[in-house]
Amino acid sequence: MMFQYFDTLVTGIENVLENDPSQKSHRKLYALEVARLGRRLYSGTDRLAWCGVVAPFDLLAAMGVTSCFVEFIGAMLAATGASSEFLKEAEDAGFAPDTCAYHRAVLGAGRKGMMPEPDFFIATSAPCTGGIGVMENMAAMFKKDLFVLNIPQNDDPASVAYLADQMRSLADFVSRHTGQPLSMNRLAEAVTYSNRAAAVMSEVYRLAEHVPSPVCAKDLRNFGIVAALLLGTPQAVTVAEAFRDAFAARIANNTPGVPGEKIRLLWIQNRVQFKNNLEDLLENEFHACIVADELNDVTWDPIDPADPFPGMAKRAISIPLNGPVERRVKHLADMARRYKIHGAINPCHFGCRQGTGARGLVALGLKQVNVPVLNLEVDCVDTRNYAPGQMHTRIAAFIEMLENRGNPWG
Amino acid sequence: MYFMGIDIGSLSCDAVIIDREGELLASSVVPTGARNQEAIARVSSEVFAASGLAQDDITSVVSTGYGRDRVHNRSGAVTEITCHARGIQALLPGTRLLVDIGGQDSKAIFMDQKGRVIDFAMNDKCAAGTGRFLEAMARALQVDIDELARLDRGSTGNLMLSSMCTVFAESEVVSLIAEGKEVCEIVAGLNRAIASRTAALVKRVAPDHNQDMPVAMSGGVARNHGVVRALSATLTAPVNVPDKPDIVGALGAALIARERALQTA
Repeated sequence: MMFQYFDTLVTGIENVLENDPSQKSHRKLYALEVARLGRRLYSGTDRLAWCGVVAPFDLLAAMGVTSCFVEFIGAMLAATGASSEFLKEAEDAGFAPDTCAYHRAVLGAGRKGMMPEPDFFIATSAPCTGGIGVMENMAAMFKKDLFVLNIPQNDDPASVAYLADQMRSLADFVSRHTGQPLSMNRLAEAVTYSNRAAAVMSEVYRLAEHVPSPVCAKDLRNFGIVAALLLGTPQAVTVAEAFRDAFAARIANNTPGVPGEKIRLLWIQNRVQFKNNLEDLLENEFHACIVADELNDVTWDPIDPADPFPGMAKRAISIPLNGPVERRVKHLADMARRYKIHGAINPCHFGCRQGTGARGLVALGLKQVNVPVLNLEVDCVDTRNYAPGQMHTRIAAFIEMLENRGNPWG
Repeated sequence: MYFMGIDIGSLSCDAVIIDREGELLASSVVPTGARNQEAIARVSSEVFAASGLAQDDITSVVSTGYGRDRVHNRSGAVTEITCHARGIQALLPGTRLLVDIGGQDSKAIFMDQKGRVIDFAMNDKCAAGTGRFLEAMARALQVDIDELARLDRGSTGNLMLSSMCTVFAESEVVSLIAEGKEVCEIVAGLNRAIASRTAALVKRVAPDHNQDMPVAMSGGVARNHGVVRALSATLTAPVNVPDKPDIVGALGAALIARERALQTA
């Protein structure tokens, strides 16, 4: 069923692009590559690893393993309106309804046979340890081996060396399961693609900072976190270039992402994954645009292709959701300044101990740079906890408040 | 020029008409019921009758409340947060902190000196501490909702409720009645529970709040003197209630309608 879904999606987009090249857009190209990844995940022929969010996907690509973080499946089920059935399955099996719905959806999907059997699992202790629990459950369910990458909190030489060593062990673990040794040449090639993609993604984000911004809310939704799945491949570069070129053209043509842009918003953590009208409400009623997402940033340096493990380790450690909250707040404040943000929205995803636990400090940190934060009580995956009217009122009131404050950036 | 504000809440539908100078000419409050279109028609009819005006005399209408998009003849819809802030500034000038407890939500609004919203916090998908909560408790106590406001008199203030969930609290009240607890003690316990929950909202928007910062209260629950007293005691600050606390949102909406019309003119 899922293979058919992705296959139909791939074929449909390919046909559109072939028959009508004018339909070619950065977003379609991105959707095509994500759909192709989905098709490979469910093909039953590729070597497959279910992973944590900060697994080194370029290393796995270099070793011929199709890989994906499991939360992607939770988000995809929500986006297609299919999450409720799998959430219920997980709850019926005893997983508490107040745990993360990304993870519950995945567990339910696994129990209902909607997750293809992988060759192995790779968990990461960042961004959350809840993900490790999911991996342990899934590994037990499929009777497959699990490798856990323990991501250090601090970016210092000892921590980088510690994680780099784990990643070398991971390569050995993958080799044992695939029977294929790691080719350092292939890894160097993959890392070179990652570096090129990261450089272009940095350009994409710099263009998004433009006032008025060339982006609309849907342009960069989930972009940074999902683009990581393409790292190590030429497709990552192609997709990033398509976004860069589209935004550069919009700026050159004076075509902002949201016509008449009035309010510039920073979205904290992840978007609401199921269909909802919040972004339309922001853009159509208030000319407010989500110009930045917390996870849309390149926080790491280029990786040395000749010695890639330390660079990959530094990349995993550098993500905003890892490490002390002070670092996260500093990153958000820096984004607020770069993007000239008027206000930030924090969806405070139900069940995300890490995300909701930090909300007070995040709000305080952004307040210090004169950026108010709207904390929403929302489950980004579980529609059963969604009350559109309440969300509408909170967001509308927040925008009214921002309008009355005027532009803090002059 | 006359301006109208309509606040369509979950329990009540309120309307006011003001003149060009912003003076209140008439107001009306009716139950919303199950069909808010009927409530809108009725409250409009009542406020027109009270003011001696007709629809054609109204320059513009701004609606607010959860049903604000259901007012067909509106020239604009504004959230209840902004409208309550605007309304309380007209009724109690200089107010910086407003607590509004309506039928199904409660909110704390922090304003600057000009009455502009700086921050706000709302209850989260739960009717605990709202008008619905009090209705359920009045039902459990078998008293009228208006009577509930007076029943805390004479309490010792020792009884604490363990749950603010409307369902569990109703069961607890029934149990307390069965145990023979005095009604005044139960009602005082309910009021303190509401005050505690509301004070948490206040602390979220004004962490440095102290006794020198008076709080204003609007919404139907502000008519319940027991809740107002309990909130004042919990916040250790005066809680000021305007004469007509239920029309604050509608008044704010009318004032915004006026400001917008005068700006355009």
